[in-house]
Amino acid sequence: MSTSDVLVTGVGLALPGVDGPADLLRTGPTGGEPQVDPAARLGKRGLRYKDRASQLALCAAADGLRAAGLLTDALTVPGTTVGVVASSNLGNLDTVCEVADGIKETGVDGISPMGLPNASSNVIASTVAIRYGLRGPNLMVCNGATSGLDAVHWAASSLAAGRAERFVVIGVETDNRYVRGLLGDPAGQLLDGAVALVWSGPTRPPHAGPPAAPCSAGTPGRAGSTSAWSGWYPKGARRRATGSYRKATAPAAGSPGTYPGRTSARCSAAPPARWACSRSRRPSAGSAPVSRTPAAGRW
Amino acid sequence: MPILIGTGLRELRSAELGWRDGAAFDVSELHFGTALRERFGAVRTYTFSNACSASLYALAMGSDLLAAEGADTVIVAGVDTLTESMYGLLDRVHMQPPDQVRPFDKDRKGVLMGDGAAAIVLRRGDRAAGSAVRPAPVGLRQLRRVPRDRAGRGRVAEALVGAHRLAGVKSEDIDLVMLHGTGTLLNDEAEAQAIGQVFGAHAGNPLMTAVKSMTGHTSGGSGLLGLIVALSSLASGRVPPTVGLREPVEEAAGFRFVRGEHAEAALRLAQVNAFGFGGVNAVAVVERAEK
Repeated sequence: MSTSDVLVTGVGLALPGVDGPADLLRTGPTGGEPQVDPAARLGKRGLRYKDRASQLALCAAADGLRAAGLLTDALTVPGTTVGVVASSNLGNLDTVCEVADGIKETGVDGISPMGLPNASSNVIASTVAIRYGLRGPNLMVCNGATSGLDAVHWAASSLAAGRAERFVVIGVETDNRYVRGLLGDPAGQLLDGAVALVWSGPTRPPHAGPPAAPCSAGTPGRAGSTSAWSGWYPKGARRRATGSYRKATAPAAGSPGTYPGRTSARCSAAPPARWACSRSRRPSAGSAPVSRTPAAGRW
Repeated sequence: MPILIGTGLRELRSAELGWRDGAAFDVSELHFGTALRERFGAVRTYTFSNACSASLYALAMGSDLLAAEGADTVIVAGVDTLTESMYGLLDRVHMQPPDQVRPFDKDRKGVLMGDGAAAIVLRRGDRAAGSAVRPAPVGLRQLRRVPRDRAGRGRVAEALVGAHRLAGVKSEDIDLVMLHGTGTLLNDEAEAQAIGQVFGAHAGNPLMTAVKSMTGHTSGGSGLLGLIVALSSLASGRVPPTVGLREPVEEAAGFRFVRGEHAEAALRLAQVNAFGFGGVNAVAVVERAEK
């Protein structure tokens, strides 16, 4: 696998008992650390009605964007150049279950309409985009245990396709009574936190912090930490990068045989010339080596 | 063969039933990879939860896979079944319960949701010698998505412009627009304004239709459903009508809606709109396959 020009320019963390990336290297028992307090980090303004996962994601994204030099009082680059890929599995289960309870107990008239945005699972990615003015592509990955690395993959893929110049990649899960109930009351502490990486494509942003060493697109150094904390997740999906098939014969749903041969796609966007990385394998393929560790920040 | 699934609500209905009613629930089945693996032996699957533009987002990601990874074939799907929480919350915010989805009509009352799924197979075009200089013989040209903030209806226009630019077409080239057209008060006006802004003097050129008037809003599946209808229309020259549209809103007064019965026309380029909660906007442009 060749390396690419994709850089990790910022890391943001919203994890219990973790003040900065260096704390991730700490060894020792975990558990009992104070929960992240988004209001203390971001101020209360704008957090009302936001679900817990979105609040945690906002914390991590803010720190990541600041570390990358993309956010001061406002965004330092055009919003259209920054996309978001967020990942979560349990993110809005609290809203969904709470509303379902509310409907049973009080009927529809008794539930708060403010829950509506949170009932859609993409609320995390869109909340981050709206708050920080990130108007590039906005993708929410809910793909089981591999979601964090999948998010890394799709951000790299979208950078390569030229869909944006930078991406904030977020992983977030929450711990609450709904999640615990649905997971069958697992023993021990579930993670209630978020992490964010900021990726920059081949053109280095003028406001970015100190240069980071390039890392391979599919396996960005320590970016695996975005999903490492979902290790408790029960049925990890492990898939191999797959070969491809020459022939596509499956018809479009509902209209058997109508379109084959007509609807195959050709994408008009070629990857930028400077994109040198072969990304033929997904990052979680297991055999893909971590080529380099980003030097900057020592995270 | 990668399978990409766009969905608004994934398997959240099962979570509701599991939490509240004690039904069997496995958190690994919140995404569709588990079922696809069990049923088809699929090994590479992605579930994207991107609200009502989810399946067009999946299409965009799928087209990137074809372009960048050397994959020959990608399956792109969209699916949603309604959750009680979403149904209840939509019910809560509707002033009057709508009895029909009437996109772009002055008397529209709101949206009704529909369950549904759609899937297509994306295949790399056969690249014969010299074909690169001809227009691509088939398919998807490009997609562009831009989040829309609360203040910014202009973001929809941004998405339309971006899609045209990436597809290498001008708005006057578009023969058919598959509108997002949910029948909600805000969407339809915003969508009509954006089209008016981007198409300018050509806003009256393309045929336009909103199939949610017949299917309801199939949420994460709706973009792909619109795309499939568009492809069918391009191939057959027949465009289904927007049922229930009697008097269009002012912003859409100059549009060439297909009304009453289907229309017939020779069509080459179609545009498909899909906009979602939180301002996730996707627009696809497709071209008729030459025989």
